[in-house]
Amino acid sequence: MREELDFHVEERVSQLMALGMSPEEARAEAIRRLGGTWDDAERMLGDSADLKERRLNVRERLREFGDDIRYALRGLSNRPGFTAIAVLTLGIGIGANTAIYSAVDALLLRSLPFAEPGRLMDIVQTSSDDGTSPWSYPKYAFFREHQRSYAALAAHGSGQIILTGQQPERIPFEEVTTQYLTTLGVRIAHGRDFPAEIDIAGGARRVVLISDALWQRRFSADPGVIGQSLSLNNEPWEIAGVLPAGFNGLSGRADVLLNLSARPAEELSQPWSLEYSMIGRLKDGVTVEQAIAEAGLLGPRIYTAFPMSGGSLTTSKAPERWTAAARPLDTIRVASGLRRSLLVLFGAVAMVLLIACVNLANLLVARAMSRKREIAVRLALGAGRARLVRLFVTESLVLALLGGVASLLVALAGTRMLSAINPQETLRVQGLSGGVGAVGFEGIRLDASALVFTFVVAVAVGLLFGLVPALGATRPALVGDLKEGSGGAGSGRRVGASRRALVVSEVALALVLLAGSGLMIRSLANLLHVDPGFDGHDVLTLRLSVPPGVVAPDSMPGFYDRLQAEIAGVPGVERVAIGDCPPLNNGCNGTIMTFADRPQSNTGNAMVGVHWVSPGWFGTLRVPVKRGRTFTDADRLGAPKVLVINEAAAKQYFPGEDPLGKRVGVYQGGFHTGAEIVGIVGDVRYGTIDSTARPDVYISYGQARLSRMMVFARTSGGDPSALAPAVRAAVARIAPHTPVYDVRAMPARIATATSQSRLVAVLLGLFAAVALSLAVMGIYGVLSFAVAQRTGEIGIRMALGAERRSVLALVLRDGAVLATTGLAIGIVAALALTRVLRTMLFGVTTTDPLTYAAMAGALGLAVLAASWIPARRAAGVDPVVALRRG
Amino acid sequence: MADSPPLLKGTLDVLVLKALSWGPMHGFEIISWLEQRSSGSVDVDDGALYYAMHRMEERGLIESEWRLTGNNRRARYYRLRAPGRAHLRTEGASLECYARALADILALRPG
Repeated sequence: MREELDFHVEERVSQLMALGMSPEEARAEAIRRLGGTWDDAERMLGDSADLKERRLNVRERLREFGDDIRYALRGLSNRPGFTAIAVLTLGIGIGANTAIYSAVDALLLRSLPFAEPGRLMDIVQTSSDDGTSPWSYPKYAFFREHQRSYAALAAHGSGQIILTGQQPERIPFEEVTTQYLTTLGVRIAHGRDFPAEIDIAGGARRVVLISDALWQRRFSADPGVIGQSLSLNNEPWEIAGVLPAGFNGLSGRADVLLNLSARPAEELSQPWSLEYSMIGRLKDGVTVEQAIAEAGLLGPRIYTAFPMSGGSLTTSKAPERWTAAARPLDTIRVASGLRRSLLVLFGAVAMVLLIACVNLANLLVARAMSRKREIAVRLALGAGRARLVRLFVTESLVLALLGGVASLLVALAGTRMLSAINPQETLRVQGLSGGVGAVGFEGIRLDASALVFTFVVAVAVGLLFGLVPALGATRPALVGDLKEGSGGAGSGRRVGASRRALVVSEVALALVLLAGSGLMIRSLANLLHVDPGFDGHDVLTLRLSVPPGVVAPDSMPGFYDRLQAEIAGVPGVERVAIGDCPPLNNGCNGTIMTFADRPQSNTGNAMVGVHWVSPGWFGTLRVPVKRGRTFTDADRLGAPKVLVINEAAAKQYFPGEDPLGKRVGVYQGGFHTGAEIVGIVGDVRYGTIDSTARPDVYISYGQARLSRMMVFARTSGGDPSALAPAVRAAVARIAPHTPVYDVRAMPARIATATSQSRLVAVLLGLFAAVALSLAVMGIYGVLSFAVAQRTGEIGIRMALGAERRSVLALVLRDGAVLATTGLAIGIVAALALTRVLRTMLFGVTTTDPLTYAAMAGALGLAVLAASWIPARRAAGVDPVVALRRG
Repeated sequence: MADSPPLLKGTLDVLVLKALSWGPMHGFEIISWLEQRSSGSVDVDDGALYYAMHRMEERGLIESEWRLTGNNRRARYYRLRAPGRAHLRTEGASLECYARALADILALRPG
């Protein structure tokens, strides 16, 4: 602009001087006409010119971009077959990635829904035997008193309670100390938080905070509910406040928060009654590391303050083996097994996408070859290489974005499916529950971050599979191409080499996925063949819990007798039994066992699972009786106390002895004073399906006063669930105000116990199948192209006397070389990568030779099959035709 | 020249395009052309002209390039593009129509 202005002023000055002005006057006038001073004029006109230039540049680039897109769309619509395959492949590939990413985001990445979640710590007791364990109230109180790291601390536990009244309903609750909401940084929506004066060690008045959902459901959002009374387990609780919408405690589902200080003081004074989790919010200026160090120091002091040997129990455990540990709440948001499964799936699905990219790159390389003449013409006409690369990359980007749009459908379906996984129960019985129930599968959704992810992946993918062919195809010095059009032998081989490399990597990636899914499938097969120790076919299960006050504790056994008789009368029910905990439940309740004939210090803590069952339970679930007897109707309250143990207990606690007739103490239900072992039964898996049975003891329900039991009904075949309404009706006749829940056929419980393995195996298998077919397509494409290119050469060979068989072998050998190279690389990669599966596998190692051999064999055969068609085509070449064309 | 009336808004563009319809010119040439053809009654502020040029170039009505003048000096020459020619036709016609109507009205005498 400056030059233009100078020129303008000079012209104007000479014009004005010609009119008779002095040079100075003329110059002043010229500048005045440009607007004020010279500096102003230069600056403002300069700015204006710059702005114009910039806008013109942008417009030019946009125009080019628009041209490129139009060109790309035209090219794509000219090849609808290719475009459809590419968009479909990308749609599935990117969509699957987005779906898994959504799960990873919801379960692993999204920040916890509390204020400053990074300052929240979960504090646990640890023992070298059991890993982590919860706190008792006295220990929590000790920790709270002696810690210096936290601005607020709270103990919390969860469970289910009956909302009594007109329509009794079981609702999830959390039992918490008064600082719970303060610690989490949650503000009460209506009313008040727990008052400070109830923060005492038991015996406080009952105060409840209700969830927004319960408020809406039971009170129609009536603000007058504050101060009213809520009947829980037939006891009145004063409603102090309503929680904010969407907040249901750390468990993610609590409808009421109860002050645990309402418990009787003697319950809260038991140092070894370990029931509560502890959460703390760090003080300003205290680091996570400091808090961790402090917990490590406080732990042994807590153990010293509450020694296990103080009471009637002696332990062999040395004090230093019990301590405490703090960890950021975020690290326990989901169980490590779930985290691992998700990351494995994420890795696998990324590999599938990578294979899809390789395939598309392959197709595009082939296409670039066929456009060589066009490219050469464009280069010759002066198009810059950068411009041409941009042209091709635009095409692949358009393709990728189309795929991205298509992928949203796949992702939507995928996220719907994943979020529908029944989270709490399914995860719990598989031992996959995390510390924060509020983080769950129901949070999986296609949100803004998933859309951004899709876009970024689509662009990355477009660049990935577009750049290689674009750079390769626009390599300069293509004069030969311009002349020949069909491509010289040299350039053909070079592009061939890059396509071969692509195919080899494809085979290698496919093998990694196949090996991984093969291992998971073998592991799943092992799981499905596990003998859980009982026969659950045709068994219907349901739970009921009798509200307090409905049946007197001492009448409980009689009540259950009547219940069993009523259910046994339902047509289709063969046998009925009562038990307190179903198998494959990720553990049941347990306690310590002592031995009358041994000093307690010698035995340490003999832990046993405790199961309360009716006499018919073993027969109903077909648990074999190994020795002695099981229970009879005579084993009731008042009769001599008897126990049945499982084989694991016999083996572990009575090595080389006969347990029958031995007297032991079980610290539950008044059995610590001693009971006689009268029988031994087979092991039943109560934990996860992949964990072997632990020592268990069975106690006759007739000698107990349990109000929460489970009904097991063996039906005479067909779907046991079909009898559910009739059984419910029978329960209602005996106990009208008892909520019945968790009604499920036993086979469904068994299926739930393996559902995570099944999900991972199925998804990995699906990914591997896609990978396999893509790899096969890739090999087929490369070999077909090679045969087409070498038609002339093959024709000459045949004219010189080569047999069809040797031509066939020539092409097959080509395929075999690609396959074996890919397989070799793939096996090495798979051995390295499948190590992440180690903790997810059951009964199979990550280097399982059978799996590797089978998968490599299958992939090899598939590749050879894919080579067969082009090989046949080569063998069918007519030399005369081929030579004439060549 | 200094007391000639200010240019009506929107007319400058049309006048410049008209000037360029004779052939490519540099900025000063355009101004001189307009001053001469109007016998000095059209007074274009020199700065305003360049703003107008930038605006029209941006809109794609004209384009510019550096060239040598008759006496061998470098100057930025502006040239009409097809959209500019079309713009001149439509806007010129409506301006002409407006000017004629204005003249007719002003020519009226009461009575």
